[in-house]
Amino acid sequence: MERYWEVASTWVVILAASIAVWSFAAATLPVPDYFLPPPSAVLSAFVELMTKGMLPTFIGESLRRILFAALLGLFVGVPLGLLLGISRGIADFAYPVLNFFQSVSGIAWLPLMLIWFGFGERTILVAVNYTVLFPVIFNALLGVRSVPPIYVNALRTLGASRWRIVRDVLVPGALPNIAMGVRLGLAYGWRALIAAEMLVGANGLGFMIFNAQTFHLTARIMLGMAIIGALWVALDYFFLRPLEEATIARWGMVQR
Amino acid sequence: MMRKWRGSALAIGRGAAPFVFILIAWMLVTRTGMLPTMFLPPPSDVARTAWEMLKDGSLWINIGASVGRVLVSLVISVPLAVGLGIFVGLRRKLSPVVEPIAGFFNALSGIAWLPLAVTWFGLGWLSVTFIMFNTIFFLVFYNTLVGVRTVPRIFEHAVRTLGGSRRHIIFQVLIPGAMPNIVTGIRMSIGFGWRALIAAEMIATSTGLGFLIYNASNFHQTDTILVGIVTIGVLWLLTDRLVLQPIERWTVERWGLVSSDR
Repeated sequence: MERYWEVASTWVVILAASIAVWSFAAATLPVPDYFLPPPSAVLSAFVELMTKGMLPTFIGESLRRILFAALLGLFVGVPLGLLLGISRGIADFAYPVLNFFQSVSGIAWLPLMLIWFGFGERTILVAVNYTVLFPVIFNALLGVRSVPPIYVNALRTLGASRWRIVRDVLVPGALPNIAMGVRLGLAYGWRALIAAEMLVGANGLGFMIFNAQTFHLTARIMLGMAIIGALWVALDYFFLRPLEEATIARWGMVQR
Repeated sequence: MMRKWRGSALAIGRGAAPFVFILIAWMLVTRTGMLPTMFLPPPSDVARTAWEMLKDGSLWINIGASVGRVLVSLVISVPLAVGLGIFVGLRRKLSPVVEPIAGFFNALSGIAWLPLAVTWFGLGWLSVTFIMFNTIFFLVFYNTLVGVRTVPRIFEHAVRTLGGSRRHIIFQVLIPGAMPNIVTGIRMSIGFGWRALIAAEMIATSTGLGFLIYNASNFHQTDTILVGIVTIGVLWLLTDRLVLQPIERWTVERWGLVSSDR
C-alpha cells in the first residue's frame, strides 16, 4: 500500500513537472503557435469540442466501430477458427491462406475497398472488421493445431467421443492462442480504424485529428491523440484483461 | 507450433494448393463476367502488370523505399529502446513509475502520430520515420522494461547468495531473463511498424508500397493495387519466415521458454 502511494505521488509530481516544462517551452520557444500549443490550449480545445458536441459524437462513432469488430471477432472469428482447426485436412488447407490474409493489414486493402465501396461508412467497417477477424481466426486455428496430440490420444484411449475431445481438450488448449489472437486483432484493428477514418474522412477520432492538421489546430490533434491512447487503455482494462483472466491466466500463460 | 509446416517439398506443394484454388476461383469469377474488370481484374492482368512493373523497375523502387524505411527505423529505435529499457528496468524505484507512461505511448503507437508528425516535419521522409520511430521504440522499450522487471527475484537472490556481483546479476540474470520479452517486443514492433508504414506512406510520401496502392486507387488501377497488396503480403511472409521465426526459435531454444510439446 505504501509502495502504491509512493508511485502515485511520484506520478503527480512527474505530471505537474511535464506540464510546467511544456507550458514553459510553448511560451518561450521561437516557433509558431500551431507548432507547440500550450497545455491550456489542449484543455480549451477539449471544453470547446465537448460543448459543441463534436467530441462525444466522434468518440461514439469510433467506439461503436471497434466494439462491433470486437464482438464479431469473438462470436464469429473464434468459432470459425476452431471449426477450421478441428479437422487436420481443412486446417492444412486453410493455414497458408489465413496466414497470408492476416499478414496483409486491412489498411493495404483500403485502396481497393475505396473503389469497391466508395468513400463511406461501409469501407471503414470492412477494413476494420477484416483487420480484426483474420488474426483472430488464424490464431484460433493455430491454437487447436498446437494442442499436443498426446492429450487427444490419451482421451481417445479412454474412450472419449469426438465431441468430448473437442470440448475438453482442443478448445481449452486453444485458449491461450485465442486470447493472443483477439488482443493482436483488436490492437491492429484500432490502428486500422484510425487510419481508415483519416483516409475516408467521414467522422470519428481519426478524421478529427487528420482534419485538424489541415487547419493547423494542433491542440485538437494532441487532444485527439490523448483520447485515442486513453480509449485503448480502457479497452485493454475492461475488455482484453478480463478476457485473458477468464481464459489463460489460470493456466499461468499471460503474455502482454 | 509452426514447425509442423516447415520443410519438405511436399509441404510446399500442400501450401501452394489453396492458392491455386483461389487463383482458379478468381479466374472463373472475372472471366465469366460476374465482376466487371474495373472492380476485379483477372489474375492474368495482374500478372502482366506485375511483370511490367518489375521490368521498368517501379516495383523495385517502391519495395526498396518501404523496406529501407523499416530497416532505418529499426536500426535507430531498437538499440535505443533496449538500452533505455534495461537502464530503467534495473532501477526498482523508477520502473514502476515509467511503466504506465510507456504503456500509454504504446497504446498510442502508429498512425495516430501522423497529423502531429506532418505538422512538425511536413510531408515526407522525416514524418514517416518519426511515426515508425514512435511505434517501434515504445513497443520494444515497454517489453524490455517489463521483461527485466518480471525476471523472478529468486534467480537474482540465488546468484547473489553464490557471491555474484551486481554486474553478474545484470548480465547473467536480468538481461538473459528479459531476452524473450525483448524478442517479442521486436517481433511485434516489426508487425505494427510495417502496418503503420503502409498507412503513413499513403498520406505522407510519394514513394513506397503504401503510396503505390493509394495512388493507383485514384486512377482506378485495380491491377496495380493488387500487385501492391500481394507484394506486401509476400514481403511480410518472407520477413516472418526468414527473420522473425529464426530469431524467436533461437531465443526460445536458448532460454528454453517454450512448453516442450515435441
